[in-house]
Formats: sequence, C-alpha cells, structure tokens
Amino acid sequence: MISSGEASFEEINQIYQSRIDKINPTINAYISNTSSILDSKTNQSNDNRPLAGIPYAVKDIFCTDGIQTTCGSKMLEDFIPPYDATVVKKLKDSGVNLLGKTNMDEFAMGSSNETSFFGEVKNPWDILRTPGGSSGGSAAAVAAGIAPIALGTDTGGSIRQPAAFTGITGLKPTYGRCSRYGMIAFASSLDQAGLLSITAEDAAIFLELMAGFDPNDSTSSPEEVPNYSKFINDNLSGKTVGLPKEFFDGSLEAKYQDLISECIKVYENMGVSFKEISLPNIKYSVPTYYVVAPAECSSNLARYDGIRFGHRSDRTDNLDEFYKSNRQEGFGQEVKRRIITGTYVLSAGYYDAYYLKAQKVRQLINKDFLEAFNNVDAIMGPTTQTSAFKLGEKIDDPVSMYMNDIYTISSNLSGLPAISHPIGFVNNLPFGMQIISPHFQEHQLLNLTHKYQLETDWHLQQPEMINEAKE
Amino acid sequence: MSINKSDIEHLCNLSKLKLEEDEKAVFLEQMQSILKMIEELQELETEGISPMAHPLEMAQRLRADEVLSIDRREQYQKNTEHTESGFYKVPKVIE
Repeated sequence: MISSGEASFEEINQIYQSRIDKINPTINAYISNTSSILDSKTNQSNDNRPLAGIPYAVKDIFCTDGIQTTCGSKMLEDFIPPYDATVVKKLKDSGVNLLGKTNMDEFAMGSSNETSFFGEVKNPWDILRTPGGSSGGSAAAVAAGIAPIALGTDTGGSIRQPAAFTGITGLKPTYGRCSRYGMIAFASSLDQAGLLSITAEDAAIFLELMAGFDPNDSTSSPEEVPNYSKFINDNLSGKTVGLPKEFFDGSLEAKYQDLISECIKVYENMGVSFKEISLPNIKYSVPTYYVVAPAECSSNLARYDGIRFGHRSDRTDNLDEFYKSNRQEGFGQEVKRRIITGTYVLSAGYYDAYYLKAQKVRQLINKDFLEAFNNVDAIMGPTTQTSAFKLGEKIDDPVSMYMNDIYTISSNLSGLPAISHPIGFVNNLPFGMQIISPHFQEHQLLNLTHKYQLETDWHLQQPEMINEAKE
Repeated sequence: MSINKSDIEHLCNLSKLKLEEDEKAVFLEQMQSILKMIEELQELETEGISPMAHPLEMAQRLRADEVLSIDRREQYQKNTEHTESGFYKVPKVIE
C-alpha cells in the first residue's frame, strides 16, 4: 500500500497507533510504545526500500538503541541500551518502523506471560486466558491486530506455544540462524530469535532480512541465507512427513486430535505423504531442558549485580549484602527459582548426576532426530497439548507449567527449526500444528505452511475485539 | 536426592540471592517437585555417550586481535547514577 501510494507511511503508523490506544489497555501486549518516535524521522515517504514504513513490534528482550529494554523485569526497568541488537539493526536498516516493545515473561522464563514485572498479557481470544509465553506480548499484539508482525525469542517453545494459543504463525529458526548479539541471554545454547506473524509469507520476508552470520556472535552460522520467499510456492508432492508415535500416544484429547487429522488431510491432498516414526528419547526432553536451561540461566544472570546497570537497592550495608539486595529486589520468583535450580545442578557433587547426565541425554534426543530425518523431510505434531489455559491456573505449580512445553522443547535441545501454524478452533480458542525440519531448512517449514495457508483460512480468523475496536 | 531448607540457604548464598522465610518454604516444596521430575533422567543408560553442550558442531571462531570497538564509556555509564571520574561506585570493600 505504501509503495503504490495508496497510503502514506504516516497514515499506516497512525492507524496502528490508534488501534494500540484502543486495544492495548485491555490486553497489555506492549511494555512501551515507540511509534511516536516516527515524527523525528525524515523523508520516509520518499523511501524506496521495499519494506520502508512497514510497522513491526519487538519483544522487550532485544536491545534497542536509546529505547528502554526491560526484559519483563524490575531488574532492567530503567535500562536504556546504548546499542541495537543485530536483528533489530538489520531490520532498521531496511526501513521498517518500530511500533513498540512487547511484554514477555521475566527474562523469557515462563509459559504464560504471568511472570512479567509489567503485568500479565491477556489472550485476545479470551481475556481470562493466557496468550502463552514467553513471547506472549508479541503473539497477543499480532493476534489483536496491533502489530502486523513481531520479533520473539524461543528457548523452549516461547514463540511456537504463544503462536498456537493466539491463532497465528510462529517461526523458531535453526539455532545460530539469527544473531543473538543484543538479545538478552537466558540459556545461550538454546536461545534463538524468530517471528510471530499472520502468514508464513510475512515470516519469510522478515527472516531473509534478519538471518545471517554476525561477527558479534561467534555462534551465529556462516551458512548462506536462502531467498525464503522464493521457496514458499514450491510443489509439495513427494514430500514425506513423519508423525512421531510419542506425540500421538493417546494423551491428546479427541477434539484436538480431530483438528490434527483434518490438517493432515489438507497436506495429503497437496501430495504430502505421512508415516509413523519414533523418537524414543523424546519423553526425556522436559527433564533434560530443566537441567540445561536453569544451569545456563544461573550463569548468564550472574551479571546482574546492580552496579553498572540494573536495579540498585538503597540498602548498601556491605558489598555482599548489596549484591543480594539488588538481586532479591530486582528478580521475580520464577527467575530466582531457576537461578537456584541451575546453581544446584552445577554445584560440586551434583554436576555429574544432573548436568553431565542431561547433556548426554540431550545427545540421545538429538540422535533420534538425526535418524528420523534419514527417512522423512519433516516432522509434524501438535504444538501444545491443549488450547490456551486460564490465567492463574498453573502459576503456582512450576512442574505443571513446565510440562506445557512438552512438544516444543526437543527442537531447542537439537537446535532444529520449527514452526507453529493455526489449524482450527476448539470452543472458540485456536489450536496449532508444529512442523520441525532438519537444521537450516526453514524454507521447507515456510513452504509447507504457506501452501497450507493458501488452502485454508484459519490464520485469517480474527478475535472479536478487533471489530469492537473499529466501532 | 532430597533437598532441605539449609540447602536452599546455601544455594541462595552461592547465587547471591536472598529469600524471605515464607519464600524459602515455598521454594523448598517447588524445588523438590522439580528435582523429582529431573530425577527421571537417571533411568536412562548413558554409558559411552558424549555430552552435547551445543546444538551445532562448531569450532570456536577466532579473529585477528584488532581493536574494533570504540571507547563509549560515557554512554555506557549513563545506566547508573553511581559513577565518579569514570569509575563505578560500590559499598566499601576494604575496611
């Protein structure tokens, strides 16, 4: 619309600004709204770059130069980064317009967005329910039409689970596909930046801009970035998709199973064939993750001492008390619990039994995937066990909350790319299908999802609040 | 392996955290259920399996030892009020 002159840059920005004003107070998807910054930019209407003026939102875990970046924590409530995360910088250089920074679970630790210091996010389909987490603000913003696309991060399912709960598309790329520079670290061997969008096509366009090697992140991959949008229309016939029997062990309720079967039929009609596969060690994904992720978290979060940046307590008796007070006041319960768990599994006497053991099991889970991909092009299964649960339902029971990521965690352990796309509704709540690919095969995930989205319109359904806001 | 209140206190000290008494009781209960869940890993035979620390087989990347970033101390120090002459101020360390 912008390039054809149908709407100006400012008009588009104004539309989103007014929608944010109407909808955000109800769902709390944004921590900060930055679209007013647009005024200071010059000559944008004359900008000929293809994405110039396209609005987008950024999870508040990505550093943004001169703009408050909280990571959902009191610890970073006043933190203003002096630089941009590489993915943000790359998008900025292509002329896209930052609408604001989205709410999230504190330090990305949580599956319901309830651990945010800035308040829970509400699911636009039912405001008594969670949008999922940790990228819940990004997911809710896109689902509620107050951002067309948003950046998220995924350490154990933090893009895919919220995408499934809010009826949108969520892509977690291969570990190392996008730079982690300037993305506040939680678990460094698992964290990856990705996208929450309405369509796979939008995700393809943005991923092309974000992906690639970054000298500032030595774990980013030098693998060439394909032209993702070129692959999305490829013919699907001849593709073989594996259905892990461990994902279909009877624990999924019939109403969800029916949606999965309908989705499989759509793919079959496009020439995809399905076969049962086995990932025998997949059931150990959750315990493995809850050793590895807290271990890395306890190490990464040691930097928050309150001295150079971050929350600083008024109680400054002595240095040791000073550190402890800064961290006691700055961190919420879930973050503290993970730091303590991580410290425990890494401590002398327990390292071999927990951390080393988990790393070995991680290898076994990875081998299961590598063997499966000898026989299939991709793997499919539900993204979550249920549709969005109620706010408050699981927050006091960490293990039940952790089990929520049962289908998504394994791809992080292996570093595999995965996508979730909507496949229907149960009681007016969206449900998602997950597709997992071999490393660096994002183009295949986008291709499968795009073709499905040409045949169906689940991804185009909108919650009632969008219409109400128009009135 | 079980965990008790003094373990929680020791772990808090190691990780420079403080918990209120009532928080300790809640944490203890939650940690016990988390450890029970993690305990499942013990049933798997992992003899001879190499530990996996990272998802991609990558060697540590090296670069030439050249100064690439410029000194931006003033900008970095804007994130705290507690600086003096380019230094950060902390509570007294040496008596």
